[in-house]
Amino acid sequence: MNNWEYSESIESEKIVNIEKKYGNFIDGKFVTPKSKQYIDTISPSTEKILSSISIGNQQDVDYAVASAKEGLKKWSKTNPSERAKYLFKLARLIQERSREFAVLESLDGGKPIKESRDFDLPQVAQNFFYYAGWADKLDIAWGNEQYKPYGVVGQIIPWNFPLLMLSWKVAPALATGNTVVLKPAETTPLTALLFAELCEEVGLPDGVFNLVTGDGSTGSHLVNHKDIKKIAFTGSTGVGKYIQKSLAGKDVGLTLELGGKAANIVYSDAALDEAVEGVVNGIFFNQGHVCCAGSRLLVQEDIEEKFIKKLEKRMQTLNVGNPLDKNTDVGAINSKDQLDKIEKLVNEGVADGGDLFQIECELPKNGFWFKPSLFTSVQANYKIATEEIFGPVLTTLTFRTPEEAVEIANNTEYGLSAGIWTEKGSKILWTADRLEAGVIWANTFNKFDPASPFGGYKESGFGREGGRHGLLSYLKVSS
Amino acid sequence: MSSKTSLKNSVIDWSSTIDMIDNVRIDELGVKERTSSLATRSIKRDSKLEGLKKIVSMCDLTTLEGEDTEGKIAQMSSKAMTPDPSDADVPNAAAVCVYPSLVSTAKNIVRDSNVKVASVSSYFPSGQAPLESKIVDTQFAINEGADEIDIVINRKAFFEGDFRKVYDEIVSLKEICGDIHLKTILEVGELETYENIKKASLIALSAGSDFIKTSTGKISSGASREACLVMARAVREFADSGYGVKGIKVAGGIRDSKDAIRYLVIINEELGVEWLTPEYFRFGASSLLDDVLKQIKKLKTNSYQSSYYFPRG
Amino acid sequence: MTDIKKTYKNYVHGKFVRSESGKVYSIDLKEEKYEIPLTSKKDLRDAVTSSKEGFKNWNQLTMYNRSQILYRLSEMIEGNKDSYISLLQDHGLSKLDSKNDINHAIDTIVWYAGLVDKWEQLTGNLNPVAGEYFNISHQEAIGVTFTLSPNSMSLNKLVKAILPALTVGCSVINFSDKNAVIALKLSEDVNNSDFPSGSLNLLSGKFENIVEDVGGHVEIKHTAIYEDISKKSKEVLGQKGSESVKRISLLPSTSGLSSILPFIETKTVWHPKGK
Repeated sequence: MNNWEYSESIESEKIVNIEKKYGNFIDGKFVTPKSKQYIDTISPSTEKILSSISIGNQQDVDYAVASAKEGLKKWSKTNPSERAKYLFKLARLIQERSREFAVLESLDGGKPIKESRDFDLPQVAQNFFYYAGWADKLDIAWGNEQYKPYGVVGQIIPWNFPLLMLSWKVAPALATGNTVVLKPAETTPLTALLFAELCEEVGLPDGVFNLVTGDGSTGSHLVNHKDIKKIAFTGSTGVGKYIQKSLAGKDVGLTLELGGKAANIVYSDAALDEAVEGVVNGIFFNQGHVCCAGSRLLVQEDIEEKFIKKLEKRMQTLNVGNPLDKNTDVGAINSKDQLDKIEKLVNEGVADGGDLFQIECELPKNGFWFKPSLFTSVQANYKIATEEIFGPVLTTLTFRTPEEAVEIANNTEYGLSAGIWTEKGSKILWTADRLEAGVIWANTFNKFDPASPFGGYKESGFGREGGRHGLLSYLKVSS
Repeated sequence: MSSKTSLKNSVIDWSSTIDMIDNVRIDELGVKERTSSLATRSIKRDSKLEGLKKIVSMCDLTTLEGEDTEGKIAQMSSKAMTPDPSDADVPNAAAVCVYPSLVSTAKNIVRDSNVKVASVSSYFPSGQAPLESKIVDTQFAINEGADEIDIVINRKAFFEGDFRKVYDEIVSLKEICGDIHLKTILEVGELETYENIKKASLIALSAGSDFIKTSTGKISSGASREACLVMARAVREFADSGYGVKGIKVAGGIRDSKDAIRYLVIINEELGVEWLTPEYFRFGASSLLDDVLKQIKKLKTNSYQSSYYFPRG
Repeated sequence: MTDIKKTYKNYVHGKFVRSESGKVYSIDLKEEKYEIPLTSKKDLRDAVTSSKEGFKNWNQLTMYNRSQILYRLSEMIEGNKDSYISLLQDHGLSKLDSKNDINHAIDTIVWYAGLVDKWEQLTGNLNPVAGEYFNISHQEAIGVTFTLSPNSMSLNKLVKAILPALTVGCSVINFSDKNAVIALKLSEDVNNSDFPSGSLNLLSGKFENIVEDVGGHVEIKHTAIYEDISKKSKEVLGQKGSESVKRISLLPSTSGLSSILPFIETKTVWHPKGK
């Protein structure tokens, strides 16, 4: 009787209809790529091939940018309240087809259906809804200065939240009157391709939204295109720096949302059970493939032992496995490359002298998997304490005083996010004032809302997405 | 779990109790989010059947009405022994829960079975009586043959800040109970905040209760999954401190299988599967059992059932 | 010869109700004749009771949720556009004017729907006080709001009398006289847009019958009127309203951020910063 394993509860794949091969979406329709080059996109949980997508070359990008330039003529003459209505309609369609999107996202990217269904998709729809509402209110958003859209905007998005990052980029860009050429990540292009179908369905004017699939080379063509007026990039700090360098001296707008190594500070006067939940959610949400993940646990020394014990116990209840199982908490690592990177860093952590705790669980035979992991006895100079792992690996450091906590938290080139756990309000505010991070969560973690600006300090990038401030990423003051 | 026999009946001293209470810090939203996240667990097929059978075995079939008669108690007691006469796979319920004056009636029927008789006492449901009266009330139920005693905490003392009095009263009643299983009702609907619920939980556990129980079922707001989660964490803290392994009873307003399964999930993930036995987890309910029986039949036969297939309780 | 009159009812707490008094008044349009409930003082009190609950219900929803409900209303009207157009034509407007008015009304609703989860980003702010304090001013809806419909045959003007207060989270009792047929037609689409009960109540009748009670009812926190009401009504409303320091304002003439300002209160929160 003393056993109660949850039986499998699998979300059906039947709802999605994946084509064998996809072209690009340009000028309001799907077109055959000029590159004629294709790459497979696989499911990281099974390694099964899902489809083939094109690797866009210079000609494909040229075509897409030309289409966006043409589309701009019409879009800039479209009444703002009409622009709003297109976005409202997209939000509605996404809501209607959210189950389909959620299954596709989990298949293509490996994230648990629980997350794609309850987090990604509702946020995507809300994000379109939110920015739809700004389209006809730009006059009151930022005072009396004359703000104008950039024109043709190039957007490059990552593989960790494929459709959500699309919505963060596309919704504000279109609301402010820009037209878009988007390049999704090569491992997770399917939901973006399905989104393109919705654009067709709502009758978005041709050329307003264009999609070119591909890899880094495709992205590079987009960044360096002479008719692109603004680049918005989310991804690694390395690529972000490369883009910034490529655009040096050019009159091209740029916003970057890059890596992070967030400190999650747990003071001894925190509500510890809730802090444990927050720390778990902070690092194991989406397999830790989150740029703002709370990957450094900073715990006050006097509660370290107690807290780690609670944390390990809680980690052991995480269900790792099939992303389409509704009871899965931690899904598959997004790609073989990413898995290799995580394994390498974790091995180095062990070699450096860190104590590694991994939960006991069986991993599926096929696919890419990594057990939820926790490092203790870590010194500040270990690589696992400074480098972004981008996986389900938490590194613990301890501190004695608030001053010390802040010092350790800020001792990084990154500055995307941070967490503070204490029941003392004044300490939250004191700490938040001193943390060098763009988003600070107190007594919660990994909370997002379209109304709330997101973005980094230091080498985590610049510019904000979300909220009223997010509009500024797609508007410039006209001279 | 090794310490359970040695520590089961011990009372934790007041100063250790106060230490625990002083450290109670709970974030309300955090509790709500965790609870609603656990509610998304999808319990199907084998795990559902297993869960439903556990629920039957954890049921304290309850009637606490002025209109209760010996006939009604007899019917309920017999149902507790054999909830579904047509299916031997369905276990018996854990107990019947009645007023002290009906304990002997129930006991006479369930005597040779595994079903226990629980009696409410201590001036249930308000607890507004002097300790001496509560002792008499409890002693009477024990004399009548009760195996388990369900008392209420002194909420008057709790809200007046006299935690010591709350603790002392439970200690006194536990003394009378001896090995008899003591369940202490917090009445979470009146306590309102999660911090109050956790404090009351720790006081009741320290004072020697074997179980903490959510509600009397006599006010509009009964058990909630959030309160259960907070109580589970109190029980966990208590066990982790080496003070002993205690149980939880949720009662008041749990009417269907789906809801009951969500409680099981909370206990399973917050405390562990070791707690998923009638020894450590109970449901106090009157109408829940029928729905669970229906669901079990449905799983086994794949067709929906009507309550008239099952005996009245 | 007997006229067959179409009957409309008040819309209170999500239900279509007659006046408890049983009294009606007539609005005769070009094609149709209507019998309209003549709201009594008791009807008003019932509506306020409903609105009080409605305020709670409406405020419990997230801004995002409220925003979606208002947008839903615009979708409903869009779907029934033709019937609104013919109703306005029946009121004597040309087909083009009717069509324009409905289109403007839809745009107005969409505009406010989009403002629901944004206005506080435009009206609230941190205050740079001299000292180690976090100090923020943010805004809240004032509560149960009574608004008069302007007596013009326009759906757009009607929704402008309703949406600003709803947008910030007030529950609204809207009162129409000569344009009551339009308002009560609107109630049908309101009823299909997932508004929680009591968040929007639509009444009809003669303002002078109830003005004293509107002014005197303490639970009505704000009353928005238009310039043209009689001097006497204005005075009564002002005098009775002063007893409970009721907010009284003129209905905003344009939609814009300023239109919501009468319906909000500013709350400032201080909190120390320190270890």
